[in-house]
Amino acid sequence: MATESNVLEAQPRAAGTKNDARRVRRGGKIPAVLYGAGKQATAVSLDPRQVARILHSASGHNTIFDLNLDGGERTKAMIVDWQYEPIKGSLLHIDLKRVAMDQKLKVQVPIVLKGEAAGVKQEGGILEQLLREVEIECLPTDIPSSIEADVSHLVHGVVLRVSDLPHDAKLKFLSDTNRPVAHVVSVKEEVAPTPEAVAAEAAAVPAEPEVIKKGKQEVEGEEGAEAAPEKPEKAEKKEKK
Amino acid sequence: MLMPKKVKYRKQQRGRMTGKAWRGSELAYGDYGLKVIEPGWVTDRQIEASRVAMTRFIKRGGKIWLRLFPDKPVTKKPAETRMGKGKGAPDHWVAVVRPGKILFEMEGVTEQEASEAMRLASHKLGLRTAFVKRELVAH
Repeated sequence: MATESNVLEAQPRAAGTKNDARRVRRGGKIPAVLYGAGKQATAVSLDPRQVARILHSASGHNTIFDLNLDGGERTKAMIVDWQYEPIKGSLLHIDLKRVAMDQKLKVQVPIVLKGEAAGVKQEGGILEQLLREVEIECLPTDIPSSIEADVSHLVHGVVLRVSDLPHDAKLKFLSDTNRPVAHVVSVKEEVAPTPEAVAAEAAAVPAEPEVIKKGKQEVEGEEGAEAAPEKPEKAEKKEKK
Repeated sequence: MLMPKKVKYRKQQRGRMTGKAWRGSELAYGDYGLKVIEPGWVTDRQIEASRVAMTRFIKRGGKIWLRLFPDKPVTKKPAETRMGKGKGAPDHWVAVVRPGKILFEMEGVTEQEASEAMRLASHKLGLRTAFVKRELVAH
């Protein structure tokens, strides 16, 4: 279950421009927005350390916590979206959603692969995880922290699909049940090419890509294309002089 | 070498490299990656050299993804040519990268192997890079 006795303190802020959001960040907070449950969206600011603690907890972003707003509102909420700065990796913005504990939610739950695949152990393949999160629908109290899938039976040609993931009746998969989750692939070893192979490859690949011609100017374009190769030669001749 | 199959125009202007890579800045396929932390051009030869260095190091151990493609033509005038007489002929292709862009990703190897492979690959590039890994905690 993803509910933990966390309390997140939030301060209301005036929803404004990106400059206002920057001022919030300079003050050591991160801008966030709270919405959902049929109520109006509210712009708030949060302590990034509290948010990071929730995101790195066992239940991750699916943690349901008490949001304590300075203005007096106290509600159950969860993180539904978050943005990182691309270089430093610091949090930039958070989307919070009010949670009604008696209504079903749509959440993304991480898939954790367990065991060593037979295709890796015996056939020397590589286990590739194609899907890392699966979307499910369930009550807030039934959200699992992760879905564990056993991959020890996976060999070449066998694909673990969403429908194969273990789950009980409380969960409903919203992702396509036919979608592949993991499979074993083989990778060819890079062989140092011989000089002849390099020369043959260089001859096979054209020096320049094809230029897309415009539809209306096709006749002119063709004439232009025919004339085009002559131009650089003329230019070179002039340069030689 | 990597290059586009079809282009609309043979030559391009240099352009600017302001800002950060807001797209393509998170790991999408593998568990480990190489992130560039300064803007610049990565040539088709550098990409190929990095790919070969990584592939030879990990041998058959893992899978590699290239997250960049050289789609920008760079022209060059012949040697000992006077200035003028128009723009030079297309010479090679580059990928424009902004800070934060993930260049390569890897899966199926240990963290040490991935780190060493990425180090070898980064030496083929002329840009400062950082090794990144997927957070394995559930989130």
